[in-house]
Amino acid sequence: MIDLFIQAIRTDLPETESPQQTRDRLKSAFPVGSVRRMTQLGLLVGATLKDLQPVPEDTVVYATSFGESRAIESYLESFPGPSPTLFQTSIHPSGVQQCLIGIQQPIGELFPLSGGAELTIQALLVAALAPSPRVIFCGGEERATWLTEQGVASEYSFAFACALTHSPGSAPLGKITLKQVSGAGSFPLYDWCRTLQERLPFSAIAAEGWQLQLDWFPA
Amino acid sequence: MNPFVASSGLSNANIRLAACECITPFGNTEATFAALLQNQIALQSLPVCGNTGDDLVPLALFPGHALQSTASPRWLPVVQKLLAPVSGSEWGTARRPIYITSSNFCIGNLVAYQQTKDRAHLAYGSPALCVEWLRRELGWGRSITTFSHACVSAHIGLLQASRAIQSGLADEALVFTFDFLSPFVTGGFHALKILNSNFPAPYAAKATGSIGLGEGAGYTVLSRDRGEFAIKAQSHYNELHHFTSNQPDGSGFRSCLGPLSEAAAGKRIWFKGHGTGTLDAARLEAETVSAIFPEAPLVGWKGSLGHTLGSCGIVELALAAAALRSGKTPGTVGTTHPTTLHNVATDAFDNTPFEGVVCASNAFGGAHAALLLTRHD
Repeated sequence: MIDLFIQAIRTDLPETESPQQTRDRLKSAFPVGSVRRMTQLGLLVGATLKDLQPVPEDTVVYATSFGESRAIESYLESFPGPSPTLFQTSIHPSGVQQCLIGIQQPIGELFPLSGGAELTIQALLVAALAPSPRVIFCGGEERATWLTEQGVASEYSFAFACALTHSPGSAPLGKITLKQVSGAGSFPLYDWCRTLQERLPFSAIAAEGWQLQLDWFPA
Repeated sequence: MNPFVASSGLSNANIRLAACECITPFGNTEATFAALLQNQIALQSLPVCGNTGDDLVPLALFPGHALQSTASPRWLPVVQKLLAPVSGSEWGTARRPIYITSSNFCIGNLVAYQQTKDRAHLAYGSPALCVEWLRRELGWGRSITTFSHACVSAHIGLLQASRAIQSGLADEALVFTFDFLSPFVTGGFHALKILNSNFPAPYAAKATGSIGLGEGAGYTVLSRDRGEFAIKAQSHYNELHHFTSNQPDGSGFRSCLGPLSEAAAGKRIWFKGHGTGTLDAARLEAETVSAIFPEAPLVGWKGSLGHTLGSCGIVELALAAAALRSGKTPGTVGTTHPTTLHNVATDAFDNTPFEGVVCASNAFGGAHAALLLTRHD
């Protein structure tokens, strides 16, 4: 049995908001000049992550199934003269790096994950085994255009960041319990984000061999 | 404090390599190691995006393979051959999990889709789809975690797999890494102007730097209680200063390699560096190695194999283990004197006086990862 305690949460679920709308809404969160080249996912993840004030001693666990889908689309469209900026921006884990480079914030350990319906549990297991006192688990997706239509990018844009600790501390918001069991299940990243936002309880097999229980403490 | 894992450095963790193998355009671990000792170069001048008339750049592709992606991916037989000893449903369970790492997965299939509109390519169009396809082809279970941290991806997989074993959550762990080239990545590095017509000469004192890109795959089986070599310590650090350059004072290299010096104290080690062929990173790496491991000869093998991107951490680990096993370390193939610093070994050397090797990799975003490999005590 593994326990993690939730100390802080930030979520943003703009879902079908356009990249320009996201840029206009969040640009004040970032240093002047750094926003122009940030992707929608970079802006969303960056704004939630930055609020938790990461420090080098934190472990950052970053999860996204599709990454910088719009940058990938634009990079592919730039052939036969591929764009160096779009290539650089499209590389996983650019989404989380854009913000941290923008604020010049080094991090000791950064675990960028990709994956499918079991991604949430895989990321939580990485967080559970990190030796640092605090782990920031963040992630999200950006809605694309033709990649979304073809089923290889997210339908919705969203992002989350939560600060996790191994000890309860004085005022935890909630508790995550992971237990090895037999059976299979899934818990997509979008569902995780919505569960965090609405502080919903959860108890089910959420990946092959793992049960997830999520309990919230009274405010 | 995490009740499962006591320290970030994994000092004296004794996570052992029950198996560690790679495959490159030269062939398997044994063939690749022999080619390095003979100073052979797998890189060839090839059209950057695979089209007649393209600029010629150094690429190392598997024999008979074209750069363009195919549906199904052309490299499946390569990884099936490599992974034959670890295929099947015994792997990918909660107690024997799999960690898959890559920087590209099947991204080349999106280029192919864009050019041909053949929807068959979309079946591999995201990392999750690519990994699920591989899982089915190899008969693995579903307990698979996927990491993608550009060119330190393989190291990240090793670090998490080690922790799963150390914590008791896993009995053994399989880490598989792969990167195969496509116009997506060759075109991108060419656009960044670090992939040009020159062949890489890692750690050479030259006026201009250049890299070559190679294909490779590798795997390790990590275990608590079997294997002749042990990972004694691992380290990871992210500068997050700039996407494509390091802090100019070398602090990122020091922050990663410093924690390994304690685990290596009292041991004679040699150093397998990242050494892609770019100039500033090579100088910073050589200077940091000289400061922290002053007696360690520094070698790099990307002048022969090219940069195998996310897979390089395990491809080169398999070759480092082969070097320890044979008693001879290949030199920095493709590089001649003068070098950026005195510690660079251009020629093969007898490594029998040494007790281990530090293997290091770097990536976009100023990411650094390194590990200390020794014979098991």
